[in-house]
Amino acid sequence: MIVKYTAKMGKLPFPLTKPTWPSSLPRPNPKRHVGVDFETAWARRYPARLFRAVYTDFVAGPLSKAVAPSTIVGAERLDRMDGPLIFAANHNSHADTSVLIAAIPSKFRHRLVVAAASDYFFDSTIKATTMALILGAIPIERAKVSRRSAQTAIDLANDGWSVVIYPEGGRSADGWMGEFKSGAAFVAQRSGATVIPVFIEGTSRVLPKNPIESEVAPGGSGSESQGVSRLRRHPVSILFGRPLVASADEDVRAFSSRIEEAVIELGREVATDYYQAHRTKDRSLTHGPSAGPWQRSWARPQAISVSERSLRDRWPFLRRPN
Amino acid sequence: MKALRMERRPTRFVAAYLASALGAGRGAGVGPLRLGDGPAPQDLGATWIPVTPLLAGICGSDLATVDGRASRSFESIVSFPFVPGHEIVGIAERDGTDAKGQAFSAGTRIAIQPVLGCAARGVALCDTCSQGQVGRCGNLVHGHLRPGLQTGYCADTGGGWSEGPVMAHASQIFVVPEALSDDEAVMAEPMACALHAALRSPLSEDDTIAVIGAGTLGLGVVAAIDFLHHEHGTMKPRRVIVGARYSHQRSLAVSLGADEVVEPKQLSRAVRSATRSGSIGSSEQLTELAGGATITFDCVGSGESIAEALRITAPGGRIILVGMPAKASIDLAPLWRREIELIGAYAYGVESIQGQAVATFDLAFSFIAAKQLGALVSAHYPLERFEEALAHAGQAGSRGATKIVFESSRSFKHRKDDQ
Amino acid sequence: MSPRPGFVLETDRSTPPTLMWNGESFGLQQLPTGSRIIYAPEPFDALKDPEGAIRHALEHPTGESEPLSALLSAGMKLTICFDDISLPLPPMAAPDIRQMVIEAVLDQAAIAGVDDVVLIAALALHRRMTEPELRHALGHRVYDAFAPNGQLLQHDAENPEELLFIGETAQGEEVEINKRAAESDLLIYVNINLVAMDGGHKSVATGLASYRSLRHHHNPKTMTHSKSFMHAPASALHSANWRMGKLIKDSGIKIFQIETTLNTDTFPSNFSFLQKREWEWSLRDRAAFAATSTALDLAPSKMARNILQGIKAPHALRSVYAGEVEAVHEKILEDVWAQQGVSVEGQTDIVTMGLPYISPYNVNSILNPILVACLGLGYFFNMYRGKPVVREGGVAIMFHPTKPEFHPGHHPSYIDFFEQVLTQTTDPEVMHQQFEEAFATDPWYIHLYRTGHAYHGVHPFYMWYWCSHAMEHLGRVIIVGGDPKTVRRMGFHPASTLDDALEMAKDVVGPSPSLTHLHNPPLFMADVS
Repeated sequence: MIVKYTAKMGKLPFPLTKPTWPSSLPRPNPKRHVGVDFETAWARRYPARLFRAVYTDFVAGPLSKAVAPSTIVGAERLDRMDGPLIFAANHNSHADTSVLIAAIPSKFRHRLVVAAASDYFFDSTIKATTMALILGAIPIERAKVSRRSAQTAIDLANDGWSVVIYPEGGRSADGWMGEFKSGAAFVAQRSGATVIPVFIEGTSRVLPKNPIESEVAPGGSGSESQGVSRLRRHPVSILFGRPLVASADEDVRAFSSRIEEAVIELGREVATDYYQAHRTKDRSLTHGPSAGPWQRSWARPQAISVSERSLRDRWPFLRRPN
Repeated sequence: MKALRMERRPTRFVAAYLASALGAGRGAGVGPLRLGDGPAPQDLGATWIPVTPLLAGICGSDLATVDGRASRSFESIVSFPFVPGHEIVGIAERDGTDAKGQAFSAGTRIAIQPVLGCAARGVALCDTCSQGQVGRCGNLVHGHLRPGLQTGYCADTGGGWSEGPVMAHASQIFVVPEALSDDEAVMAEPMACALHAALRSPLSEDDTIAVIGAGTLGLGVVAAIDFLHHEHGTMKPRRVIVGARYSHQRSLAVSLGADEVVEPKQLSRAVRSATRSGSIGSSEQLTELAGGATITFDCVGSGESIAEALRITAPGGRIILVGMPAKASIDLAPLWRREIELIGAYAYGVESIQGQAVATFDLAFSFIAAKQLGALVSAHYPLERFEEALAHAGQAGSRGATKIVFESSRSFKHRKDDQ
Repeated sequence: MSPRPGFVLETDRSTPPTLMWNGESFGLQQLPTGSRIIYAPEPFDALKDPEGAIRHALEHPTGESEPLSALLSAGMKLTICFDDISLPLPPMAAPDIRQMVIEAVLDQAAIAGVDDVVLIAALALHRRMTEPELRHALGHRVYDAFAPNGQLLQHDAENPEELLFIGETAQGEEVEINKRAAESDLLIYVNINLVAMDGGHKSVATGLASYRSLRHHHNPKTMTHSKSFMHAPASALHSANWRMGKLIKDSGIKIFQIETTLNTDTFPSNFSFLQKREWEWSLRDRAAFAATSTALDLAPSKMARNILQGIKAPHALRSVYAGEVEAVHEKILEDVWAQQGVSVEGQTDIVTMGLPYISPYNVNSILNPILVACLGLGYFFNMYRGKPVVREGGVAIMFHPTKPEFHPGHHPSYIDFFEQVLTQTTDPEVMHQQFEEAFATDPWYIHLYRTGHAYHGVHPFYMWYWCSHAMEHLGRVIIVGGDPKTVRRMGFHPASTLDDALEMAKDVVGPSPSLTHLHNPPLFMADVS
């Protein structure tokens, strides 16, 4: 009986259903606005911003801190600064953005956009809308930034919006840093905004990049065809470095190298300590040994079990004086 | 004439349908089947011989009819009120000639081949009847008889579940060999069905045969395959695997020639193992075999058994439906995708063995003698205890029985006279 | 307090009832007065610095061998093979010993700059391991470094391209092993010696072999002449593996064998009563016993199984040796006997044993009836040196529900074995002649073994052959509490209680028989004089 009723519903006439187009008339192709062309201006209007602020501060932030207990270094420097900032960070995991946004001081956090890869985050309307709404994402190309997206970023910076950019162009495949591209430097130079180098450590253990996405042949049990990454609790460190401004006659590429060196130095600081980071120029601390893939994976710093950080570590007054 | 009669009373059909939900055969007490005295069938002419039944079997289609669960397609080919019972062995009350044209005298024991074909209906032989394939006769509702596909579904002929007489046309009469007992003779009709089903598809030595169900027909098919190989030189299939639910059925199947007998749940696994084929799907029960049995005899005929047959029959294979199936809802996608042939096997006629034509009933007599199939008759009931008889027949498997028959009072006297 | 050795208890009226394993549950069983109960030695203390011990062993090899660091060089082909999920039992709490050893080896390999490294799980004809099982055995660090690059493999005994035929021994035994392993510059085998049968030449000759190789010693004749297969000098299985191992060595394959022993600390703290002597149970132990046994009895079998299979043993490393195969193995055997040996005087008429939920072949799975027989008559019966604990013609009484339940993913061929082969015969020689070939070559089983997580089609036969010696030696086998139809199909006798079983035993061994009970697990080896 239900079948008959729904069949009747399907046969309703116009105007109760959408009209069909007569075949003799030309019909223009429907516009599709996804990818780089996706309009995100609506997400920067007050209602969307309010939603995002509430979401970031009361949902995403606490969740982030619970899943990835973070140590933040250098954020006090930011409090003294004005104006829009461009955060240039290394990229290892989808968890980077949530963790970074939770760490940025609220002065900048509530007026922030994130440059996200247009082919991955903006490939369908639903995904694009969600990303624009909850992250404040704007589409940007991975390899070579086009005029349009660069211009959007520059205009936003001029408007007082801070921008998060990942100059590597995508997540690193094996946990070590890759080559920086010059998009961030370009935007900073044109808009005159200050660049803050950021190094994020530990997120590759929180939400690892899936081997299937890396397009490598899975060995082991052959059951890596499950496309879902494991979300693990792991401590995360975020280091904000000294601000960088492009000088008047500086080449974009030179500025980009400067930014890259700054991030690398922060990375060395995580691996060793503040002083060592200045002293050595050893690239293998951030880029891994130049060796086969298993050795690069072997050389990664070991994962820390969060439970190893016992109650006493987190609540020092519980420690017995010895 | 005292007989069990089916009368057209719709409310009783509903009552029987509901009662039989508790179990097959339970519709007998409340249904349209009544025991009583009534007019005997009229003399239908010189070619008709009145026969007093000795034994009359109960068949699955009879149970379905009594329970009000017969197929709607039967409605046009039965005429009410009729006396059921089409598996009949009895005593001829007059001299006459049998189906082969040979004369016999009154008092001879005969088995009735119940299909009412053109000859019985007094019309010119249709194509199939002239070839001897009386089961495929197209004239079921014509002629001077009222509609009725067989004796036992026709208002004019009477039927086996009575004290007699039953009217048998010459073309239906087969003289029972002296050596066969009454029990063996009453198995003639069902075993003819089994033989006909086994011959429905030529067997080769590469065939793996699966038989679903080990009731009368299932066991008959197993025995028939063995008999045809040993006595008539047909090919012996590589393996015959039977799925039988009850242990007495399993031991009977083994003694009648099955290579492997398993519980129904294990049938799929046994066929997979015998054919070394792969298995598609993850659930234990509902896996489909990548290969499977080349011929499957479905002697249960329910929706589940046909679905099971579709899973275990190899692509390009054959499923032969033996015995009347229930009304079922079946997913036919496996049938289409695996290019399986679903073939019906009904009744009997003339079989061609090694180039020779022989009537199925005659072949059945030698079959029954060779395999001692009289042992399949498990119980005899007088007409007065018909409710018990039908309930027993409905639960035959779980009660360790195979074939249940009615025994007339003539049979009691007959046996006493013999002693 | 230093761990006490194992001993034989003569029960008397003051002896409390004995803990009796019964599949996925356990209870207390009063044994007849005058029975002997063999208790395992208490587990030795853990080493203070297992990683240090491993590193020491790698640099100070045993037998004729260079230290590991000298054997590694850049540009070489290195293969590291390790024991599969059958060991240890129950599975070990993290970090697994294999993880510790392989991490030490890989640290050296990284320093030496070896690029071409492959890890192979030496399954022989066992089932492939799942990702969580591999992660547990190897640790996340090793797994993540090798699995995504396709450098972590599981031995595939049915892929001709992955096998290399080495040759035939003097007795015509064909030796065919994993090709990558055979063609490496160095083959490192990481072994766990849980029982005395493991290790030595058996690691490579069996663990990396194919059916063509295995059938020469995994057959009824070899198993009946292994009295027992735990005691090398008396074991035909051992001799065959040694011949094959020598052939492998002589063919030029360089093997660096790393063998380890674990202490027999089998149960974690909340189950510790299972390895304590009953008269020493504290209030806590008694409460834990009551609570756990009730919970397991009441829980649906799947839940009980999950609880038990989730137990991770606190096994700790006791000794580790590395270097030349035979020298390493000799040292390790001494340590195994030191931990597990119990001296027993004389044999008895009857031996009883409670069978737990786990055998090497059903980790994270179901103990089906065939594995029940293998566990009792194959393993427990054969854990001896000298003579079996029970006399020839005696009776074995085992406790297990023996339900006809099978894991369709792990043990598909066992179902067919149970329905087809056991209904026809229980004689190992007959089934070897008539049925083994068909099962070993069935394409569907091979498919499931290679791509799924199923034991090889021939594996149930091997389980049955494992019982050959016991079946030949014993007069009768009785299973208490077992499903009657299943028990009879296996050729044994069902009984509902121990008293009934003893009555049935008396028909065979005479009135007033002597009885020994094996209080097993934890594992022990009986040294019977």
